[in-house]
Amino acid sequence: MVVSFVAALAAVLAVGVLTYTARAGPILLLGDRALPAEAQRALRYVGPAVLSALIVSLVAGGQGVDGVDPEEIAAIAAGCMVAARTKNLIAALVAGMGVLWLLIWLF
Amino acid sequence: MSRLHPASRRALRESWPLFIAAVPFALVLGLAMTESAIPVVVAWSSNLVIFAGAAQLATVTLAATATWGTLVATAAVINLRHLMYSAALAPRFRRQPAWFRWLAPYFLIDQVFALTSARTELDDDDWRRYYLTAASFFMTSWCAATTVGLVAGSAIPASWRLEVAPAVMFGGLVVIGLTNRPGALAAATGAAGCFVSLGVPNHGGILIGATAGVLAGYLADRARARDAAEDPAAWS
Repeated sequence: MVVSFVAALAAVLAVGVLTYTARAGPILLLGDRALPAEAQRALRYVGPAVLSALIVSLVAGGQGVDGVDPEEIAAIAAGCMVAARTKNLIAALVAGMGVLWLLIWLF
Repeated sequence: MSRLHPASRRALRESWPLFIAAVPFALVLGLAMTESAIPVVVAWSSNLVIFAGAAQLATVTLAATATWGTLVATAAVINLRHLMYSAALAPRFRRQPAWFRWLAPYFLIDQVFALTSARTELDDDDWRRYYLTAASFFMTSWCAATTVGLVAGSAIPASWRLEVAPAVMFGGLVVIGLTNRPGALAAATGAAGCFVSLGVPNHGGILIGATAGVLAGYLADRARARDAAEDPAAWS
């Protein structure tokens, strides 16, 4: 339990330092050396791989497979379909949340 | 507005749709701050100290139940993806001044990565202007939106399920960025890898899925390596 003011502040600072370290490390340490071509080939796919994994983790909400609910899956699927057609993120968000609210209202 | 450099204007024009999409996350985070076991002032300070939505949300919500070590470890695992963002952008920083190399990583959130990694056509000075403008915009508007969430968010009924919005947003981001088969394979494998490892504690599934996805994308890309060269940042 991190409830005292000092413990909470220490936790936030620790997470802040770790976050900065992760973000700054490669930029500062790679210096003048170029990344190998094979590394760049791999890094090209970091975006889609990490963000999709993050989506699954968000949907599960830390409760494993039990945390997955069908309305949420339908909302994400609708958002993805609209994103694929329109390439517009706001349209995707509106469609996804619209489907979610429709399903909540229906069932 | 008219006195702004064209690169800065472009950064603002391209940033705000991503910010609008992040507003629900900011509101949810603000709401979580009011319900957190940690003092509201400390929780809000995570906007400035951590500046990473998922890690902030983990910190704020886990405080009541997790040990100090578990909480910090969880947020660190969530933020390991920033290591990969940083490595992906490192070549762009090689010719940048030292002050910018030290300052810029502080702002390297998902949205800033998505925007700046895609702007391969800007020269170094314009890219720096673009980066700093987008970074300042996201920092300012993120603080404002979480504050709104903190003050007024509790008025939005839980039945609106606003916590679903970030996943919808990330789904849209991934789909819009997909331009080739290896990218689609990386996304599918990342999701599947995380799904089968949901039992791993501390959101370890994110890292497992990400590693599997990158590997799948890399291998698929290599298999068609002789094809036409592709934009390295095409996914975003």
